[in-house]
Amino acid sequence: MESELYRLFYPRGIAIVGASKNPSKIGHIVLKNILDGGYKGRVYPVNPTAESVLGLPCYPSVSSINGEVDVVIVSVPADKTIEVAEDAGRAGAQFLVVLSSGFKEVGNKELEERLVQVARKNGMRVLGPNIFGYVYTPAKLNASFGPPNLLPGNIAFITQSGALGIALMGYSIVEEIGVSSVVSVGNKADIDDADLLSFFLNDPNTQAVIMYIEGISDGRKFLDIASEFSARKPIITIKAGRTEFGAKAAASHTGSLSSGPILWEGVLRQVGALQVKDVQTAFDYARIFERNIKLPGPNVLVITNGGGAGVQATDTLAERGIRLNEPPKDYVDYLRTFLPPFASTRNPVDITGGASDEYYYLALRKALEHEEIHSILVLYCQTMTTNPMKTAEAIIKAVQETDIKKPVVAGFVGGPESKEAISYLYRAGIPAYPTPERAAEALSAIYLYSKRRSVVEARLAYLKTLYGKSQRLVETRIIGEK
Amino acid sequence: MATTPQLLFEEARREGRKKLLEHEALMLCEHYGLPVPRYGVATNSKEAVEVATKIGFPVVMKVISPDIVHKSDVGGVALDVKTPDEAREKYITITRSVMLRAPNARVTGILVEEMLPRGLEMIVGASRDPFFGPIVMIGVGGIFVEVLKDVSFRVAPLTPPDAYDMLRDLKGYVLFGGFRGMGPLDEEAVVDVLMKVSEMITQLDEVAEIDINPLLVYERGRGAKVADVRFILGDTRGE
Repeated sequence: MESELYRLFYPRGIAIVGASKNPSKIGHIVLKNILDGGYKGRVYPVNPTAESVLGLPCYPSVSSINGEVDVVIVSVPADKTIEVAEDAGRAGAQFLVVLSSGFKEVGNKELEERLVQVARKNGMRVLGPNIFGYVYTPAKLNASFGPPNLLPGNIAFITQSGALGIALMGYSIVEEIGVSSVVSVGNKADIDDADLLSFFLNDPNTQAVIMYIEGISDGRKFLDIASEFSARKPIITIKAGRTEFGAKAAASHTGSLSSGPILWEGVLRQVGALQVKDVQTAFDYARIFERNIKLPGPNVLVITNGGGAGVQATDTLAERGIRLNEPPKDYVDYLRTFLPPFASTRNPVDITGGASDEYYYLALRKALEHEEIHSILVLYCQTMTTNPMKTAEAIIKAVQETDIKKPVVAGFVGGPESKEAISYLYRAGIPAYPTPERAAEALSAIYLYSKRRSVVEARLAYLKTLYGKSQRLVETRIIGEK
Repeated sequence: MATTPQLLFEEARREGRKKLLEHEALMLCEHYGLPVPRYGVATNSKEAVEVATKIGFPVVMKVISPDIVHKSDVGGVALDVKTPDEAREKYITITRSVMLRAPNARVTGILVEEMLPRGLEMIVGASRDPFFGPIVMIGVGGIFVEVLKDVSFRVAPLTPPDAYDMLRDLKGYVLFGGFRGMGPLDEEAVVDVLMKVSEMITQLDEVAEIDINPLLVYERGRGAKVADVRFILGDTRGE
């Protein structure tokens, strides 16, 4: 079944109310982003005082447009939005994307409620208000005033914070995270996280979702949809207000009150979401989940050229509940055929500081082929005698030649050459990180997700049998009568 | 003593109480199948001896009154009562002491309860959140809850996978592996309590808060017992 939000992401036509000639105005930037992004549908600037903007003829109102308009982007002062909503309704639009501020976040709750009422009465749903817009790369649609050159990929972002969301768009470019979508939800007057999750759940272009959440209005709806979502794709959450102090700041920020941080922690576990403390970890996880790697089993093998890096990774994995087992005996025997006698063939396998690219290639290739090794963490410390790019090539060669879909994660520590090697690995489809700890934590995310998912699946199965039979768990009996 | 939860709530409301009395709370727990200590209510010293004998010694005796918050402050509690003579004597001591120190308090009777062996002290609670609705909480008791805030929440109704996960979520869960000469603890009994508390908060609209503190948890196979429980009623007028 087509999602209710389908036309928001695949609009046939978009009107921009408040489109402006002035390049510093939001109405100008959004229009420019839409045009530059390569969106294939029709675009209609609406501005009663201009004849044309960015080479397109202007319309005095949405209803004066002769053509299909599914989405109306609203960038006019708050008190003008009702008028726009009524006009857009007459024109048969399906979505109002309200960028304007000056609603509930400043105490103007009545105006926000009226806006939603008018929209609903006219058969429209509202995204926002108080947002920077949204992006959907499969439709080449950048209807936001964020950066224009996002990398297409399969991670969706849902953010309640505007400025942080825009900054994250930029940071995703730096970190080379490919996105399917970025949605600013702002005050969530109508369309909320649950609505968006139900779209992304069935969106073949989205593998995982990162959410920045401050608060929520309908906890039950979120619980239901997020659980269903986690059973199929990972949700990575950054929950604002992890401390009581932060929770107060979050509540005053959007005016959407949130419950206590410890309750939230429980709720996020209950729905199977991965809660991370910071943006960097969210991106590190996204890099892993972008590949949609399935977890084949519990045995992690660490290959390193530095003992210290191996220990750091071992500790990080142990803290996440992953213990390293001894490598299989035939694998050890094989390593002994080429490694120097002072190399360690336990787990982590230390192929020694002077390890050649060939050692990496041979050790990794055999590990990929070995049935009892399920995922591999390859660590590299840059030394004067080794070359990070060559090592990266050796790793890629092993992975490509075997074509076995096991999680392989790399941690490359060193200077600018190592950084280049990380990018190179990542582009070749191998998640790579600049420290052993980050690489280990990212790998552990696959295990964590698989654990969370099995709890959620069990929970959903239980609820299904339960509600299939009766709404109530136990019928009321008379006390004393046994 | 046949009654329903609704009759208990009506009675409390009629008397203007927001809290169930101890024996009512125990009845409600029993009704939902929660493991409570053996108990009875005595309204004279003869009954106190009868009830205590039926339960088996040692017992605990506590005054039941809607007007007394801190029972031990008014001499309303006797622990480790070992013989019938002592039960009779304590009944009189408690009644006198309460009459002297809280002369205006209404007294419903004296609760006589089985004295429970020691176990791991946990707390299990439930309440209603403005955004998520009915929620259930568990924590390891004492300083773990007070200082370390080692608690875990879930939204009700819980499923068994939720209940296991929330228990294992606790830092204090390591204690379930056994400590101080005790073997591994009865995890299933705790999960059972969580499930039943979840049922109560989901079904009973009248209940605003449930607070089991402590829940005593014993070695595997020996279960858990609700040592003390409080029910706070909300403003709902029933259905």
